Amino acid sequence: MEKFFDPKSVVVIGASNSSLNLGATICNMLKDYLHYTRPVYVVNSKGEMVNGCPGFSSVLDLPETPDLAVIIVAARHVPGIVKDCAKKGIKRIVIESAGFAEGGRDGAAMQCEIDEVIKANGIRIMGPNCLGTLSTRNKFCSFYGVNPSLVEMNQIFEAPGNISYTIQSGGVAVLVMESLYYDLVGINKVVSIGNKCDVDEADFIDYFQKDGTQVIGMYLENVADGRKLMEAAKRSRKPILMFKVGRTREGAMAAISHTAGMANNDLIFDSACKQSGIIRLKSINELHSLPKMFTEMPLLKGNRVAMFTNSGAFGSIAADLLVEAGLQMVPLSSQTQDKLKKAGQVFNVKNPVDIGPAPPQTYLDIFEILLSADEVDGLLPLLSVWQTFVIDTLHELLKMCKHYDKPAAIYTPNAVAKSIAIRAKHRIPIFETPEEAVRALSVSHMFNESLLKRGYIYDYAECETMDDDRTITSKMEAVL
Amino acid sequence: MTTGNVLKKEKEMSKILFNAVQSGQQALSEYESKRIVAGANVPITREVMVHSRQEAVDQAVKIGFPAVLKGSSPTLTHKTEMGMIRVNLKNKQDVAQAYDELMDKGINLDGILIQEMVKGNREFVIGLTRDPQFGPCVMFGIGGIFTEALKDVSFRVAPLTDEDAREMIHEIRAVKLLDAFRGESAVDEDVLVKALVGIGELGMTHDEIAEIDINPLIVTEGKPVAVDALVILETHRA
Repeated sequence: MEKFFDPKSVVVIGASNSSLNLGATICNMLKDYLHYTRPVYVVNSKGEMVNGCPGFSSVLDLPETPDLAVIIVAARHVPGIVKDCAKKGIKRIVIESAGFAEGGRDGAAMQCEIDEVIKANGIRIMGPNCLGTLSTRNKFCSFYGVNPSLVEMNQIFEAPGNISYTIQSGGVAVLVMESLYYDLVGINKVVSIGNKCDVDEADFIDYFQKDGTQVIGMYLENVADGRKLMEAAKRSRKPILMFKVGRTREGAMAAISHTAGMANNDLIFDSACKQSGIIRLKSINELHSLPKMFTEMPLLKGNRVAMFTNSGAFGSIAADLLVEAGLQMVPLSSQTQDKLKKAGQVFNVKNPVDIGPAPPQTYLDIFEILLSADEVDGLLPLLSVWQTFVIDTLHELLKMCKHYDKPAAIYTPNAVAKSIAIRAKHRIPIFETPEEAVRALSVSHMFNESLLKRGYIYDYAECETMDDDRTITSKMEAVL
Repeated sequence: MTTGNVLKKEKEMSKILFNAVQSGQQALSEYESKRIVAGANVPITREVMVHSRQEAVDQAVKIGFPAVLKGSSPTLTHKTEMGMIRVNLKNKQDVAQAYDELMDKGINLDGILIQEMVKGNREFVIGLTRDPQFGPCVMFGIGGIFTEALKDVSFRVAPLTDEDAREMIHEIRAVKLLDAFRGESAVDEDVLVKALVGIGELGMTHDEIAEIDINPLIVTEGKPVAVDALVILETHRA
């Protein structure tokens, strides 16, 4: 699998100098932008060189056997090229061309031809109809058509992170990558798997267990093998956040029984997620908004949440959301309430804790009191940044969360653009809406429950070490 | 249950299924279906298959009144619509008359099923279906005539753990129907859990079963009992 992300040499089959050639865009990115120093060969009908990459008219003429072949030619030529790759001894192939299983009977027949060749030669294939791989740490990317001059694309490689995505759509991949640029977590790897004739989403769940990935994000339009996916998910020690659209085709079932008529595939998919610990996302935005809850905060180990706000309204708003999410608005003990009374300026010492205009120390005292309370599993701070010191107190909150091993899902009831700017500049995991913050607590709790159910222990220390590797990057400064 | 009994039960189930597939049946009769689901730990009504009026009357006396009579045949999947069910038979005369009526319908039957009449206000459904992606899946939900209208059901991919079964029972919207209800005691959830796990196992071990529909599962004094069941076979395998 590693060779798909970190090949020692690569051949782009179908790259040429003709105008609007997609293969050439891959060469351009590798050479001009990523400064990929290893050999990049191209194969085209004229055998011409592309952007300094030596050209050949056949794979068989290459001076060495590349680790990876990227095929981006018309579908009808692909089976022949795959055979050439097999002859040359190439073991990893990305087929970016479209027009196979999704393209009718001829496509399906070509697919079969390819399947036979790869089975006989021990070749692994990604695609067809995909973009292939992106690895920020290896500075490798096989995506075609990407314009590296776009600032977001540029920065993705400058600030590697620990989130890896398996995405069945180029468009969603772009949305997620661009969005993360405005957030505070970075990408480790992205794979676009297309029709997944061979390597599928379950294979990547297994692969992402041992490559520094901390959170797995997935966007699927269909499931290659439901049972295989469930097994891989059950083995996963990393949270899997999945957005799935499109219902699988219902089999031809007799309509004479109730069960067949009621067996909505989406409902079954939902159950499969619950049984295997996959967190099913409600919106596409959650793919990029939720991972920071796992990378920046300890897990929510119970469902008892304390709220703390400097604006009473948000206490009520979030209370509804919290209860709807199945979390508990914890009744604070009399000891906790006594401590809060002594903190001063507190309007309400019951949950939600509500304060008026107060100095920084009051904020810090309240964080400490709530996080140290036995009855509290996690915190939902709803704190308007009405003075800049609020930001400083949030910094302290991050440290306290680590110390007490309890999470806080921070929401700042300010303009979203302002919250995003604070998040980027100060590296505080701020959620953009109260709904998002509550959802973050909810998924954190869900993941903890699923780990317990499977008898796994979450190694937060391991995640922290990975965090430390990451420097505060130019990415954030670029935003502001 | 001893290992010997389990094996005997499994043997009986396999035999019923094998014979049905061999003879090209698309489904099992209610009687055969219930033998199968009973083998998977689903409690079923006390019932006997009879072939004469006298036998019907004698068995009704043993089972107790009121009794229910149903025409039995693997092709009879809509018994109510076909008028092949007689309920609330209070005495020997009722049973004898009902027997004659069913026989006079002119429908090819393999016998008449005589069973106890189970009464209860709460009806559930348990089902097995095969999803193209996930294979055998177990369903639980509100049963009876409103099943399809209410669509209050939950699913789990087989095989199920006890915990999976318990979770899916609590996932339906009308979960309160499991509690003590209008003077009736709470539903024995352990019985439901065993049944759901059992049906999941059946789906895993018997590829020849395409679907199962147990509806209604009537709760009487807290105990769920399968009053009707239908096992549909994978006909293309025959």
